[in-house]
Amino acid sequence: MKISKSIYLFFLPGLFLYSIFFLYPTVSALFYSFTDWDGLSDAYQFVGIGNYERALTGDSVFRKTVGNNLKFMLMVVIFQTLTALAFAMIVLKNTKTNLFLRALYFFPTILSSVSVAFIWSFIYDPSLGILNQILELLGLHFLQQNWLGNSDIAIYSLAITQIWFHAGQMLIIFVAGLQAIPEDLYEVAKIEGASKWQTFRKVTWPLLAPSATIVIAYTTIQSFKAFDLVFAMTGGGPNNSTEIIATYIFDVAFRSYNFGYASSISVLFMVIIAFITFLQFKALRSDRISY
Amino acid sequence: MVNKKFSISLLLLTPLLALAGCAGESPDSSSESESGSEDRTQISFIHWRGEDKEVFDDIIAQFEDEYPEIGVDMNIYPSEQYQATGQRMLTDGSTGDVFTSFPGAQFEAIANAGFFEDLSGEDFVGNFDESLISVGEKDGQQLALPYQLVFNMPVYNKGMFDELGLEVPKSWSEFQEMADTLLENDITPIAFPGADIGPNQFMNSMMMNNAPDEEVFQKLQDGEESLTNEWWVKTLEDFQLLEQNGYIQPDALGTSQDSAMAMVANEEAAMLATGSYHMASLLGLNPDLELDLMAPITVEESEAEYEGINTATFMLAVNSNSEKKEQAKEFIRFLSRPEIASQYANETGQHLTVNDVEYESEVLQNTAYWIDERKTRFQPRFLITNAQVEAAVLSSIENVLGGADPMEAAEEAQQIVEENLE
Repeated sequence: MKISKSIYLFFLPGLFLYSIFFLYPTVSALFYSFTDWDGLSDAYQFVGIGNYERALTGDSVFRKTVGNNLKFMLMVVIFQTLTALAFAMIVLKNTKTNLFLRALYFFPTILSSVSVAFIWSFIYDPSLGILNQILELLGLHFLQQNWLGNSDIAIYSLAITQIWFHAGQMLIIFVAGLQAIPEDLYEVAKIEGASKWQTFRKVTWPLLAPSATIVIAYTTIQSFKAFDLVFAMTGGGPNNSTEIIATYIFDVAFRSYNFGYASSISVLFMVIIAFITFLQFKALRSDRISY
Repeated sequence: MVNKKFSISLLLLTPLLALAGCAGESPDSSSESESGSEDRTQISFIHWRGEDKEVFDDIIAQFEDEYPEIGVDMNIYPSEQYQATGQRMLTDGSTGDVFTSFPGAQFEAIANAGFFEDLSGEDFVGNFDESLISVGEKDGQQLALPYQLVFNMPVYNKGMFDELGLEVPKSWSEFQEMADTLLENDITPIAFPGADIGPNQFMNSMMMNNAPDEEVFQKLQDGEESLTNEWWVKTLEDFQLLEQNGYIQPDALGTSQDSAMAMVANEEAAMLATGSYHMASLLGLNPDLELDLMAPITVEESEAEYEGINTATFMLAVNSNSEKKEQAKEFIRFLSRPEIASQYANETGQHLTVNDVEYESEVLQNTAYWIDERKTRFQPRFLITNAQVEAAVLSSIENVLGGADPMEAAEEAQQIVEENLE
């Protein structure tokens, strides 16, 4: 089939917008990462790989933010994926109740992140918050915590909020994936006497792997970029225990006016996300199967 | 053929339309420019005080009545956004002929970028209290003029103190006795909003007499001082004592300022560890409160050099890149008139750095004595010009309140300081 050359013109709008809003900022960040630019002055000096050296060997806060981000990401990826998958299996059939429940689970996704941060900050408040009050009412006062003020658990409290916020979105992807699995495969499994677990392991999961890949990759990127929620709920505190890479980049760029260094952290941030996503794709690819 | 041409035209037009849709800024703006008036010069005034919009609208209207040849376009940005993008807007001189700056890191960054017009020698500088505007000076030049004056020290329930026969403590031992008496009466001595502004406000009064040297943070940034030295370790030990003795509420690091304010308004706590700017809000929550200000004196009475903390902020400045500098200065001259400053002070409930301001509200009148009669020092936190160093200092307080040993917390923070030495 001969393709008209004019078809390439259809790439132009996308390419133009991509270049302006993605390519140019990315190349700029890469360029400035080798400078000491303060973000304000016209003048800057090239510092070679100095910024990268500083980030990797001389910045204990950056190292802490990477650790915090990994903890946050692991908790969110594992529990958000499992929650979304479990709920998707519960509300799989297109009954009226299930349609309502899907909408209900999806509801948090349409809220603004600042609203979510405000609601959950109130829920977690140690004296006025309803979480500790409910635990008290249930006689579970030993479980009461200083949810956002205890540096040992604050990052996990934020992860719970993130899961509540986005699990509904992932649920929709899983529902679509589950509904695409042919019903006759389940019938065959049933005739063969497969248990529920065997059916899930040998039929559902392999055929759901493409959806799971999307969910896990998207959740990973989302949890690395959870800037607004973290910024609004804890600002990175207490004692940097919830500082993640995205909030640290903001601090370095806009509070310390060190755009050069912030750019180098952004580049490292991009590399970290790309590496983790690559590993996930590789791991999940081995689970894919087609019948 | 026509369809093909049409498709191509549409494709080329799409990005332009998209960009056109992105054009323009949408901050909260007022005082629209009157483009019809050719002789009129429009100046841009940018700041972050959204809550002052109404009073500024009125003041700008008065200014434009008196100076019909000058119009003022006011654009207000949320403070975080202002910190992030405010200085970028000053670059080409088209925005922010008159702008405001925070003291500390932002002032330093703008000064280093050369965006401040030197105001030394302008007649209106004399309208300000000389002792309160030094924070806007750099290298002998008056680069900015702080307009607002706040006291970043605990607000206390004076009525409650009178009822319990308590006097304002003059030493650390008296402070502890006072706190014990409050505890005996089932009152939390200090409501500390550790989840947000608590550490960065309360550190000032907690350290003011432990480190009376006002250059201590400059020396720290120059590598001549250390957080592991006596002045800061003692400050952290004092914080630890407050926490261990129950002088601040349990789970303080998870408490927001709203919750802390509610504690004081409900008279569950006697002091709010923030500043004078919360007095009006507290009275809004409980009009029966009788409030005043009190900073903890963490040394013996004879060693105390300071009684409180002041911060001159909302620093008015003229953009050095502006082509309308004279008109911009005229606007600042207008704002510094005592009658205009009085209107601003009374309608926003704040003390100002302008001379001869007449305070009408009871709270402002009752606390105005802190301006002239008490020995206060400028907020030490704003003398930390490196934001990473500031974050390390504040983190060490959070670390101690989270249960860490003061010396270990100081060492950890000092390591971050050393990583950020220039």
